[in-house]
Amino acid sequence: MQLKRPAHALRNRLIAASCTLLGATTARAGDLTSDASPAADAAPASDAAQTVADTALAYYAENNGRVRAIEPIVNLRQDLGDERALSVKLTFDSLSGATPNGAVPSARAQTFASPSGHSLTAAPQTYTTASGQSSVVSSPIYTIAPGQLPMDPNYHDQRLAASGSYQMPWSSLTRTTYGGDLSYEHDFISVSGNGALAHDFNQKNTTLSLGGNYEFDFVRPIGGAPVAGSDYTLFEKQGSHTKHDANIVLGVTQVMTRRWLSELSLSYDRLNGYLNDPYKILSIVDGGGNVTGYLYERRPDHRARSSVYLENRLALDRAMAGLTLRYMSDDWGIHSETAQLKLRWSNAERDRYLEPQLRWYRQTAASFYTPWLSSAGSSYITAASSDERLGAFHAVTWGLKYAARFPDDQGGDGSELSIRAELYRQTPDHRLPGPGALSGLNLYPGLQALLVQVEWRFGY
Amino acid sequence: MASPCEVLLDGTDEALVRELGALAAGEAWRIEGKYSRYRDDSVIGRIHRCADQEMELDPETAALIDFAAQCHEISEGLFDITSGVLRRAWKFDGSDRLPTPAAVQALLPCVGFQKLTWRSPRLTRPAGMELDLGGIGKEYAVDRVHDLLAARTSLPLLVNFGGDLRADRARPQGAWQIGIERPDTERKAALVLELQRGALATSGDARRFLLKDGVRYGHILDPRTGWPVVGAPRSVTVAASSCTEAGQLSTLAMLQGAGARQFLEAQEVRYWIVD
Repeated sequence: MQLKRPAHALRNRLIAASCTLLGATTARAGDLTSDASPAADAAPASDAAQTVADTALAYYAENNGRVRAIEPIVNLRQDLGDERALSVKLTFDSLSGATPNGAVPSARAQTFASPSGHSLTAAPQTYTTASGQSSVVSSPIYTIAPGQLPMDPNYHDQRLAASGSYQMPWSSLTRTTYGGDLSYEHDFISVSGNGALAHDFNQKNTTLSLGGNYEFDFVRPIGGAPVAGSDYTLFEKQGSHTKHDANIVLGVTQVMTRRWLSELSLSYDRLNGYLNDPYKILSIVDGGGNVTGYLYERRPDHRARSSVYLENRLALDRAMAGLTLRYMSDDWGIHSETAQLKLRWSNAERDRYLEPQLRWYRQTAASFYTPWLSSAGSSYITAASSDERLGAFHAVTWGLKYAARFPDDQGGDGSELSIRAELYRQTPDHRLPGPGALSGLNLYPGLQALLVQVEWRFGY
Repeated sequence: MASPCEVLLDGTDEALVRELGALAAGEAWRIEGKYSRYRDDSVIGRIHRCADQEMELDPETAALIDFAAQCHEISEGLFDITSGVLRRAWKFDGSDRLPTPAAVQALLPCVGFQKLTWRSPRLTRPAGMELDLGGIGKEYAVDRVHDLLAARTSLPLLVNFGGDLRADRARPQGAWQIGIERPDTERKAALVLELQRGALATSGDARRFLLKDGVRYGHILDPRTGWPVVGAPRSVTVAASSCTEAGQLSTLAMLQGAGARQFLEAQEVRYWIVD
């Protein structure tokens, strides 16, 4: 059959006929169900949320007058279509309270200077800064009562951080992500960049991913960076330093069964540069338990760390379970194990859930960790630190989260409001009793902390 | 609809998805029930009980008959909803039993849309003639179900009634993956298409044909001769913005027989032919 009219005219007539049919009958369909939208021939409802905003406010407090923090966070994620997405996150931290300075409690009162200080007397001192200027300042000092854990009560810090990441497809089965982070505190600036590649196979049941991260930090301690291992009372502090951290992660995610997802990842990183905590000191203690002096801590200038991580997620009828295991080991002699169990129970309408969580953590001490230096061996140290975060300890975290979802009237994901609380308890292991006068003192107080966070996530 | 029908919705609210599924099923069954040849209480049943008498049709049926009238004119008589009577001579069961030319000839006086008296919404059907909306009903149902759901939700959705389908929007993780099966091996898809939005309709002889002396007789009959169209491809899939439009284009292409590919090229539509 030869169609006498031009081809496009046929198609146009067909399009017109179809539109007439579907337009004419749309109004009819509206009569059939009372729930149908009254403007039955209106365009379909507005697009599903293209941007998801996640806002959270967290409050953190440690026991014993230690660190307290408030942290608001805003995270925006924009779906750009074609499997591309852009995320931006802003974090602000405000910390205050008291932080241990690394010295041990003593049977006698002790006086220390805050990081900005240059002397242990309260009298104004004249000192010259690195740039050659002279200033006269009163050194902020603090006195610790006998038996108390030495803590600097003037700790306060504020941090502003911004990070962004961009995800795009490379091919139908491969995705790439690029990101950058910037973090600013008046004594510490961090810049980092990361990239990752993920490839699906096996009908998207298996995903292999490779990622790398490089971070460069400027460490600009208040009052200058102390000469590592030097005598604290000499206040040999000057200048600033840098460090960097290169990290690589290889991961595989596998759908094991319809209800079980498993993820295994291997991570390796190398840190180089100024790895000391410039504000931490160690007490020199003699055989009788008397504190005879203090030294600034000293850590190696490199660190290599490897870890293995295994996460399993199970979907049950109205519940989800997650079990995570992690093992980490580094060349400072620290190795640690973490086990975490999370359960999520949803109600029948799937718009509320309760999520209890339990985490157990244990780590061994760094080879150069020592709660104090004995005076015999203090003349020269290659590395020593009494920072409890490098010591042997175990910790348990109990957590509970409650969330409520409010679906939007378009059937999209709507918004979610949640509140969670976590109680953390850290207990030092291998508590060596102090010699002499220190033997009756509690040199290892441990730590307890409470975290409460309220989060609201919504799309628009 | 005589084929598996499904609606795919990408969402997380189970209650809503169930409700939308029930709505879709309800609408599909409503259309099927209303236009089924096999039910006495259907509109078609009512039309077939009323010979040589003017009857008034409801607006939905009138719109469908109007559409069929326009397609009959656009195709210069190749597309004809009165050609259903030819089924009495043709049984497409995969065997080699062709009807006799006389049997086909006897039915031809009852075929021809122009023989109906149609002035919307009034129809007069001469005795002996039959109406069969099977050629447009399924695609129409896809479009109706799609519009019904799209007005109620912004979730990505795909309506698929036996290969005639329409997608509203792509899922966040990418386009819908559609497999077009090869007519003689039911399992392995010959092609996988990616559909973001729009409709696909397929016409083919995959399951209904006669095979004699090595010649395959597809079930698409030329209403002017009463015999299957010669040289038609095994299956034609067309993409368009509505399933009704896509269905008509694929049917018209098949009706061109050996000229299917040339016809589709001339329409400047996206198409896939499996020979």
